[in-house]
Amino acid sequence: MEQEFWANKYYLSSYLIVVFITVLILVFQGSFLAFTLTGNIRPDLLLILVICLAFLWGEERGVVVGFIAGIFQDIFYGPALGFYTLSMLLPAYLAGLGSRVIYTDQVIGPLLAVFLGTILHEAVSFFLVELFWGNEFPLSYYMETMFLPVAAYNLVLTILIYPLLFRAEQAKLFYPSFK
Amino acid sequence: MNRTTQKVLVVLGLIILLLSLVYFTGDITSRYTFAEDLVLTGLSPVQGFFSQLGTRTYHFFYGMFDYHRLHEEKKEIRDELARRDNLQHQLLELQKENYRLREMLDFKERTEYELLPAEVIARDPGYWFETITINKGYADGVEQDMAVVTSEGLAGNIYFVSRNSSKVLLLTDSRRAVSALVQRSREPGTVGVVEGYPEMKGYLRMINLPPEANIQPGDTIISSGLGGVFPKGLVVGSVLEIDKDHYGLLQRAIVKPAVDFNRLEEVFIVKETPSAKDLDELPGGDVSDYY
Repeated sequence: MEQEFWANKYYLSSYLIVVFITVLILVFQGSFLAFTLTGNIRPDLLLILVICLAFLWGEERGVVVGFIAGIFQDIFYGPALGFYTLSMLLPAYLAGLGSRVIYTDQVIGPLLAVFLGTILHEAVSFFLVELFWGNEFPLSYYMETMFLPVAAYNLVLTILIYPLLFRAEQAKLFYPSFK
Repeated sequence: MNRTTQKVLVVLGLIILLLSLVYFTGDITSRYTFAEDLVLTGLSPVQGFFSQLGTRTYHFFYGMFDYHRLHEEKKEIRDELARRDNLQHQLLELQKENYRLREMLDFKERTEYELLPAEVIARDPGYWFETITINKGYADGVEQDMAVVTSEGLAGNIYFVSRNSSKVLLLTDSRRAVSALVQRSREPGTVGVVEGYPEMKGYLRMINLPPEANIQPGDTIISSGLGGVFPKGLVVGSVLEIDKDHYGLLQRAIVKPAVDFNRLEEVFIVKETPSAKDLDELPGGDVSDYY
């Protein structure tokens, strides 16, 4: 099961489920949530999903999940194809690595991963915007007004979301044909 | 080649591929790719359903928790209606007078804009870009660069068109700049984005104003029509404050947008814009006057 992880049928169903959940979250986040939470700071449910799943599944599958979520976010809302994909890959990879040192059945690991992953995700976005379009303000400005508040928001929601994903993984809900 | 080296090469290749993709598809004048067109066409009705649900939920809770404010607002709106009623009569008189004067001066009538109503079905949930998705696409005659307005004023322009939906780049996006002028004094300038302080997010700034520019707080800023994307005379916002630029040579103004970008629900797409020739014929003279 270790080798050829992307071609393994056992994992394929889980990636299809990730595609389905990603589309649902993107529609919900861009329509329902955007019209109910009109302030500057909103949670990033898709990033929480990616980091939590990467934490549960390890870095290799985490990168695949990050790629799927990122490319769909690019298609829905991205300024260019590849923008959100790039900013999803690194947090997903590092969250996957994190699961090697922290037990996945304790919520502290994903909490830390989501908090740091959110900051990293926004930092990568900052550098990509800087590279292709240019930013008006330094990184410290965005860190204070955007990265930290969003990270805190995501952290709180992870307390609710991670246990659900953990139970779904335990119950093999991501692998329906192998139950 | 061992497995670790393979992994590193795959990751590097992926990063280079994605960076190239951003580079080639990041141009705001580019069209949708086939994949984007396919996915967005299929999902625009679902997005429409969820945005309706979101709007209704917002209005429900807003009404429940803000009853007193709504009551006050109702009173204010009644007073405002009475004032506007009075203004409308005056406006009618002025319109008639204007019509007579135009006829006398043999001015060509200003080109009428054809407005196509559209609903906002989604907005970018991220923080880096200010874009919305509307439920009209090339099947409805929407084209790239068409201006998007609301009853309050200018909102942005179409930058991606798919079959049943389009993406709109809002005025508050830092990639958007509009040539604009002060309605009262006709001073030329350019409108960009203000992000100086968190409380100023969503505001615009007008730059390139000459030091002697006749501009003051409260002035209305309108589009100048230069550049060909936005028709002339659309309200952009009103001036909040004025100061000098970084070098102390030019003036700049902070502009409060006429449109509430947080609560965009319905917009109009301007399907017909006056040509440069029409602009020259409008009172105010040749477009070169603005430089």
